[in-house]
Amino acid sequence: MSFDWLIKIGYVLLGLFIVLNYGLLQYGVIRRISARIGKRIGVKVYQPYIDLIKNYSFRSQITHGVMFYLGPVFRLSGGVGVFLFMPLIFGSEHFSNYSFSGDLILILYFLFFGMLGMALGAGEGGHPYSFIGISRGLSQFTTIELPFTLAVISLAIQYHTFSITDIVAAQQGGIMHWTLMTNPLATAAAMLSFLGMMGNSPFNVVIAPQENPIGPPTEYHSTFLAVLQTNRAILGPVEAILMVNLFFGGATNWVSLIIKSFLVFFWPVFVGIVFPRFRVDQSIPWFLKLPFVLGILAIFLI
Amino acid sequence: MVTPIHLVSVALGTAFLLGFTKDRNWKISGGLVLLALLLMNLISGSWTYALFFGDQVPVQVFTAGFKPPFSINLQMGRFEAAITLMINFAGLLGAIYLFDRLKKAGRYAFMVYMVFILGLNVAVMTRDLFNLFVFMEITTIATAGLIFLVQTGKAAAAGLKYMIATSIISGVLLIGIIFAYSLVSTLNLDGIIDGGLPLIKGGAMVVFLILIALLLESKPFPANGWGLDVYESAHPGIGAMLSVATGPMIAYVIFKVLPISGGAWNHLIAITGIITFVGSNFLAIKQHNTQRLLGYSSVAQAGILLIAIGLQKELGHTFIYVAAGLLMTNYFAKAGLFWLSGLIKGESLQDWTQLKGRPVLLFLFGLFVFSLAGFPPSPAFFAKWELIMQLASHGGYVWMVFILIGSFFELIYLTRWFGQVIGSKEKSSAQPDLATHRLVPVGIMGVGLLGTMVFFLHHYAPDLAIDFIPIIFIAALFILDFLPAFLKNTVTILAMGWYLLQHISDVQNDTVRLIFFLIFLAGGAISLLAGFSYKGKRIGYYPFVAMTFVGLTGLVTATTTLGFFLSWELMALGSYLLISRGKNAQKTSWIYILFSVGGAYLLLMGFGVSFAVTGDGLLSSLGIAARALPAVGILLTIGFLSKIAAMGLHIWLPGAYAEAEDDATPFIAGIMMNAGIFGLILSLSIIAGHPFTWWLGWLGVITAVGGNILAAFQEDAKKLIAYSSIGIMGYILFALSMNIQMAWMAALYYVVLHFLYKTILFLAVGGVIFRTKTREMYQMGGLIKKMPLSFISVLIGIIALAGIPPLAGFGGKWLFYNAVVMNGWYLQGALVFFSGVVAFLYCFKLISAIFLGQAKDRYRHIKEAPVWYILPQYLLIIGLLIFSVLPELVLQPVAHALRSMPGEGIQWDGHFAQTSFGYWNAFIVMTVIAIMFVILLAWLILNSRKAQKVKQFDMVFAGETPFTPETSHVAYNIYAPFNKALGFLVVPVTTWFWHATASVTDASANHLRKWYNGNGQTYALQMVIYIVMFYLIIRGGF
Repeated sequence: MSFDWLIKIGYVLLGLFIVLNYGLLQYGVIRRISARIGKRIGVKVYQPYIDLIKNYSFRSQITHGVMFYLGPVFRLSGGVGVFLFMPLIFGSEHFSNYSFSGDLILILYFLFFGMLGMALGAGEGGHPYSFIGISRGLSQFTTIELPFTLAVISLAIQYHTFSITDIVAAQQGGIMHWTLMTNPLATAAAMLSFLGMMGNSPFNVVIAPQENPIGPPTEYHSTFLAVLQTNRAILGPVEAILMVNLFFGGATNWVSLIIKSFLVFFWPVFVGIVFPRFRVDQSIPWFLKLPFVLGILAIFLI
Repeated sequence: MVTPIHLVSVALGTAFLLGFTKDRNWKISGGLVLLALLLMNLISGSWTYALFFGDQVPVQVFTAGFKPPFSINLQMGRFEAAITLMINFAGLLGAIYLFDRLKKAGRYAFMVYMVFILGLNVAVMTRDLFNLFVFMEITTIATAGLIFLVQTGKAAAAGLKYMIATSIISGVLLIGIIFAYSLVSTLNLDGIIDGGLPLIKGGAMVVFLILIALLLESKPFPANGWGLDVYESAHPGIGAMLSVATGPMIAYVIFKVLPISGGAWNHLIAITGIITFVGSNFLAIKQHNTQRLLGYSSVAQAGILLIAIGLQKELGHTFIYVAAGLLMTNYFAKAGLFWLSGLIKGESLQDWTQLKGRPVLLFLFGLFVFSLAGFPPSPAFFAKWELIMQLASHGGYVWMVFILIGSFFELIYLTRWFGQVIGSKEKSSAQPDLATHRLVPVGIMGVGLLGTMVFFLHHYAPDLAIDFIPIIFIAALFILDFLPAFLKNTVTILAMGWYLLQHISDVQNDTVRLIFFLIFLAGGAISLLAGFSYKGKRIGYYPFVAMTFVGLTGLVTATTTLGFFLSWELMALGSYLLISRGKNAQKTSWIYILFSVGGAYLLLMGFGVSFAVTGDGLLSSLGIAARALPAVGILLTIGFLSKIAAMGLHIWLPGAYAEAEDDATPFIAGIMMNAGIFGLILSLSIIAGHPFTWWLGWLGVITAVGGNILAAFQEDAKKLIAYSSIGIMGYILFALSMNIQMAWMAALYYVVLHFLYKTILFLAVGGVIFRTKTREMYQMGGLIKKMPLSFISVLIGIIALAGIPPLAGFGGKWLFYNAVVMNGWYLQGALVFFSGVVAFLYCFKLISAIFLGQAKDRYRHIKEAPVWYILPQYLLIIGLLIFSVLPELVLQPVAHALRSMPGEGIQWDGHFAQTSFGYWNAFIVMTVIAIMFVILLAWLILNSRKAQKVKQFDMVFAGETPFTPETSHVAYNIYAPFNKALGFLVVPVTTWFWHATASVTDASANHLRKWYNGNGQTYALQMVIYIVMFYLIIRGGF
């Protein structure tokens, strides 16, 4: 009897564990850096761990109904699912996860799985701020995706594949082979989209704490919130890894993966610290200007 | 055989005899008249039978024992027999109908009536020109007398105008006859024809005078104000006689006298006919007076008959069917409508709401109206079909276009009238006059019309090549409509199941047809289950359901263009009638039928052009035709676009879906809409790769983006899903525009997918509306706790719609991405994907506004949707889940069916699908996600097992508890910022355009009808101008 599948699961869980810790630390670092820029000292780097443990340990827990309960499960399934379908380390069979079951399109659409579940769960919470946050998020997302879609099509034209592994393979052989160099327009369009996908300022009106107490997850607390935080710690790095795979040559080992994804991950953070927040009706057209034009150029000039 | 001279002697003798009776002995005089008319019917009837079905040959009867030119000869041939039978039959029924009116007016009225019928009979039979003149005069004078039966000022004025007009006509005709006699020395028609008038000097003028007079008698547009006034003012019983007895007489007289021109006038007559047909129907649009409207319609029908007469050479042997079809439809339907109008109290169309609640009369009304409008299986349908086919094969495309334009105008007012009667919320308080002697003639005309339909169906059976059992089933449902609804629903579902099993083998070898066949019948039967939620009889529901489904099935099984077109029209009519049952559906159903038929006319033109190229009416020949003339495919495609509501042609859809009854919407939206796609597959497969498809691809993009954005802004749940349908149709149109296998695979995949989730969504929402009694989503909220099963349905529906893995919707997206990059339509593709993301907006709104958020007080005790709404949803969900896990069940046969198309397909390795671009394993994806979901759920349960359920208002709300759910349920206009940013993309340009078109049409019709100012002198002047202009035009100037 073959135990390959068990070994596979073991490696997947190991990868998940690494990514989760990496994500938590990364968020700690972000908070620290953001604080320093604001001339504060900031929290400890390990503060996300403390928050997570604290939230998982709350004894008082309330629920508004089945969908409210399932919301975080959907959300975390979305995050873990994207992780599962994403090849992490190029050339490593162990860390390619379940990427054989679907290509880039699967990942693009599976990103919505968590969003939808979360939106529905928050909806059952019945808090007006949740609805306001969700409607803003969904509205904004329509145009955020557009330049990214164009970039993906541009990649498909360039590499004649939707397979992430094949796209990474095509970029091997040095920095000059990276999509960043071979297809800078697509990279630029996608990186601008990425700003919106990560939901940092100027595109964070969804959760804008000052006027809309954290938006969709308003009603979530304790374990539910902890599940959402777990998801964020996984999904954030995984999305950065996606960008690394598509545009920055992928990674052949964990060190390279972490460095590259860390830098990619920090791009929206830095932008967010510098630029103030957009309203939804400002951010939607923003993506239809430069990013969209870059995307179109990317498909016609490749 | 009784000699036809007795038609004259009986009528004349009776008229004389009546002189000896007394007014108080009305029973004797009336009895005599009825007996005489019965006798005349027997004579004409026996001749008709003998000439058509026996071996009787036509006969000539010579008066006074001499042969022409020394005497008058009457002819009894097939035409004469049939037309005198029509006249006498209408005369008999008309006499019964008018009996009390004639009785009141005294024996002279009976006498005049007999003389009127006599005049018509002789005018038809005579072959002597002067005799014709005399008897037309007799008819005219008798008609004037009959007009005066109604003793109102209006009728008196109309009678006077009629006399003025007819004197002009008689004058011209008489001068013509005198000159004819002086040129060819005979008054016998055959002699004149043989005399070769056009070749003799001055002969052309004679021909002109005679024919223009006869033409004027047919009330050609626009020199026909006098005729219309008569129709409006005379008693409806007389109006009917003018339309169905005098009308055919004039048409036949023109037909028999026309040869004197030696063929030179044939096209002139046809042109006059088309002008009359288009003009009269156009002006009728603004009519609100019933009898005047019927008058316009009668004039228009005479016009189209003139077209057939004028183009008889082009029509060849089909002329008889075209003429008979047109004549019979007008005969039965117009008489029926005129007589019905006599039952109604009041003159306006609105007064016809008196028919509400009287199913038999409504049925007859509908039967007459839709027959006139040319819906199948009315004789006019076949006549117009034949007319268009023959015109096309003679290159008469301009004729074709104008006939269809005229028919469209006709449709506008007929369907608006019908819609007003059944859709209007106000019901006239007056009671109709339901005297038996008035009802019986109407009923007989209805039966006659149905009989003619059977005859035409039988005659065209080889060309139709369809199964007649379903049509018989529709008829049976009409008859059995008094049964309870659940019984009819059961019978309909069983019949559909039976038909499916019986005929699935017919389409088994053609995967594309098989898919549509299954959707139409199996899907249709499932969606009908919801109907069990309704109690009562639901009169006038199931016959139309059956009609729609019979039409749909016919589309798939048709092998000929006629069979296809008949099915298409049947489906359009059935679904229109279903939609118009909705409470507020008057306007929307009207718009629906206009767009449907507008599209259908383009199909008719396409089929016509195809017939012109190939000379056969087979669907399989369309490809050959399109290779020679791509216009075939383009016309068909544009026709089908109106059915799938492509942007620009979409304004009918949201209203129609929203206003239809809640259990009718699922199959109209989820199932019937596929008919348009089926059509597109047909039409695009024959023009694959034509540059036109590039534009079509962009239209698909615009439709997808526009439909989806508009859906996001809806507050009405059904409208939201309706706009979403437009969006999906955009995807499918886009995919079908690409001439590669992968794209068509995506399109067919979407067909199945859209059927599944759209039917689920409409059923679920229908069930919710069934309980909440509102369609406005913001008025709902928090229903998840009361209607969990409906919630799950909608959830699954929107996940599938949004294309989120692991449900089948993702497969559609994946196929799409592959198709887009393979075909190189990158920008279009990206925009379609953009529209897909926009779909999330409305998906969320649909589910959250209804089921999530704050429950309203009035719905605290609401129950789950009825089980008959839930059951079909879950049957379809099972289908959707199987489709999600094993998409290859559909994709592999589809790929096989599309193997001859260019481009690569999918390589299958078990569940693993691969193209040169990417790969996807639906089975593994589902497995991974399911396992992961369960594990994570377990993890959460483990961590929150003590979670406490709280009450509705127990939430974080700035320290206060909101007790008014209305203010905390955020559901109304939630995408206002999105609207602010991108609302400019969906400014209702299309609506403006169609509104403007409608307004211009309406205003022009209103303005132009001022031409008829009601003044007798003006009318006389118009006639003179008409004569002069006509003369100048045929001479080419002064």
